[in-house]
Amino acid sequence: MDGFQKRLNASVQRKLSFTLSLAILAAAAVAGIFSFVSAFAEAHELQDDVLRQVAQLTDSRHLPPTLRPGGGDEESQVFVQRLAESPASSVDTAAGTFLSLPATLPDGLQMLKIGGETFRVLVKTTSGGERIAVAQEAGFRNEIARDSAWRTVMPLLILIPVLLLIVADLIRKMFRPIAALSRDIDQRSEQALHAIDDRGVPAEIRPFVVAINRLLGRVAQSMDAQRRFVADAAHELRSPLTALSLQAERLSETEMSAAAHERLAVLRQGIERGRKLLDQLLGLARTQSSAERPTAPVSIQAVYRHVLEDLIPLAQAKRIDIGVEGRQDAQLWMNERDLVALVKNLVDNAIRYTPAGGRVDLSVCLAQAHIVLRIRDTGPGIPPDERTRVFDPFYRMLGNEQIGSGLGLAIVRAIADRIGAEIRLGYADVSGQSGLHVEVIVPVAMTER
Amino acid sequence: MRILLAEDDPMIGAAIQDALRDASHAADWVKDGQAALVALGSQHYDLVLLDLGLPGRDGQEVLASIRSRGNPVPLLVITARDGLDDRLRGLDGGADDYVLKPFEMAELLARMRAVLRRKSGSAAPVLGNGEVVLDPATKEASVHGGPPARLSNREFSLLQALLQRPGAILSRTELEDRIYGWGEEVESNAVEYLIHALRRKLGNEVIKNVRGVGWMVSKNA
Repeated sequence: MDGFQKRLNASVQRKLSFTLSLAILAAAAVAGIFSFVSAFAEAHELQDDVLRQVAQLTDSRHLPPTLRPGGGDEESQVFVQRLAESPASSVDTAAGTFLSLPATLPDGLQMLKIGGETFRVLVKTTSGGERIAVAQEAGFRNEIARDSAWRTVMPLLILIPVLLLIVADLIRKMFRPIAALSRDIDQRSEQALHAIDDRGVPAEIRPFVVAINRLLGRVAQSMDAQRRFVADAAHELRSPLTALSLQAERLSETEMSAAAHERLAVLRQGIERGRKLLDQLLGLARTQSSAERPTAPVSIQAVYRHVLEDLIPLAQAKRIDIGVEGRQDAQLWMNERDLVALVKNLVDNAIRYTPAGGRVDLSVCLAQAHIVLRIRDTGPGIPPDERTRVFDPFYRMLGNEQIGSGLGLAIVRAIADRIGAEIRLGYADVSGQSGLHVEVIVPVAMTER
Repeated sequence: MRILLAEDDPMIGAAIQDALRDASHAADWVKDGQAALVALGSQHYDLVLLDLGLPGRDGQEVLASIRSRGNPVPLLVITARDGLDDRLRGLDGGADDYVLKPFEMAELLARMRAVLRRKSGSAAPVLGNGEVVLDPATKEASVHGGPPARLSNREFSLLQALLQRPGAILSRTELEDRIYGWGEEVESNAVEYLIHALRRKLGNEVIKNVRGVGWMVSKNA
């Protein structure tokens, strides 16, 4: 009961349905009882009138003492007899029996118990001084009255459930725009902070929608500010880093011992690492905030070539055999910079984790409703239980001495999410549990728009 | 060569100025936009290095002001902003090239040379990537300053195509387009044959194959 109370209070729709139904039922019960009682009384009244009329007729026309209305069954029999007569002397047997009525009955209507049955009796003194009694069985009278009362109440009894159904349906329909609205908001991605459409929203809910829209606006603003902060911070960090790298570069040109040269080289590697991290941070900030709409389709092979041009020196330094397999190409309707960033981060990782002398393959494959970009390497691969976590920013696999920014796969995920692509990680060599096999599965809808 | 450096960061400014002097250039260093315009008005410079994030009048404004005066001085923008819009605005605004922070001095000097070459109208006749040098006049190529090797017309066209943009990968079709004129019948394996011949003359390392994509000569080799 407590739970029911809680659910009632939680939902306006349920509360409304429940209280309305309750009110309808109460009103119907009162109306039903009232009409039943009044119809019942009315019917009795009518029957008393019949008795009076019969008495009147008997009085004026001296009809035979026992009267039986034509065609009625035994129960509906109306008895008419003289009072104070010996029942035996009355010979007419058309109706069977006479009632043994006491002669002392007063004039007027009364209930009388005769031989185990209750009768309604009207006693009247005629103009001729005779006293006559008109009687009818009370059980029968009640049955008639009940029947007529039920007939009065019946339409009400049938209509109430129908009314309840109609009310419930109406309420549900009225709440439908609200349900649709909540579904719409629920299905939004976290990037979709545009205002809620308040057309078709009931006037009572509109202030609420307007308030939510204002909140959404503020959230969008603050998220924007945060992204801008990351971008600005990364930009600002570039200046001191530039100063550092320029000084280190100049230092390397001065005369110094071999040991100093070695240490300077390490220092410059550190600076390079900082630069890379900054680039990645900016890349991530850009991917998360990018609102640039693609203007032309991008060829995947062209992007592969672009990425290889950038990364060949890295691969050659490790004597890695890197290349594209197959000539299959496909066009994607997306921002070229995003696709380059996606492929570049994946290939960069592949080269980084593949031991010297290894192999990295890129390919494009068309499935029915998807375009699949594949990148395989001969590195150690990623164990299944790490595969979801590697996409977290700054996540590092245990026992990994590679120096990366930790942002590469986070950028890949952000871009993939935005274009609705799925990323699958697996082993390139399943039986040997080694080598990373990355598939970026892009829905074909991205190619036509 | 006299160079104007407009850069507000003291550490970067000092480092660039010293490096320019080391490279035997005369470098004047100003720290805000107004000073840059004043210096340009009173002195002839062969090249301007302009940081976009200057205090007072920012680099974009200074750039517009220089160009609106009709001053054609070669100008390189130094910027920490790598947004596409920022870059395009810089180039559309009349910059000859841009360098993104952080950069290496060697890269800045190379870009300066390239801008000057383009501005002087005489694109360097000699192509090279630091490893191989190709002279279009004699159609001779030499590796690491070694003895020059004479190239056939088609070998020359192929190597020239690759050396025009070191680091870029050219596909077989693109190379065939460069070697053969319209209406000329393309022989099968012609590209492989020419590359084989070039490698015999220049060594195996000069032209690199990228599996499934094409061929390239390395950048900054």
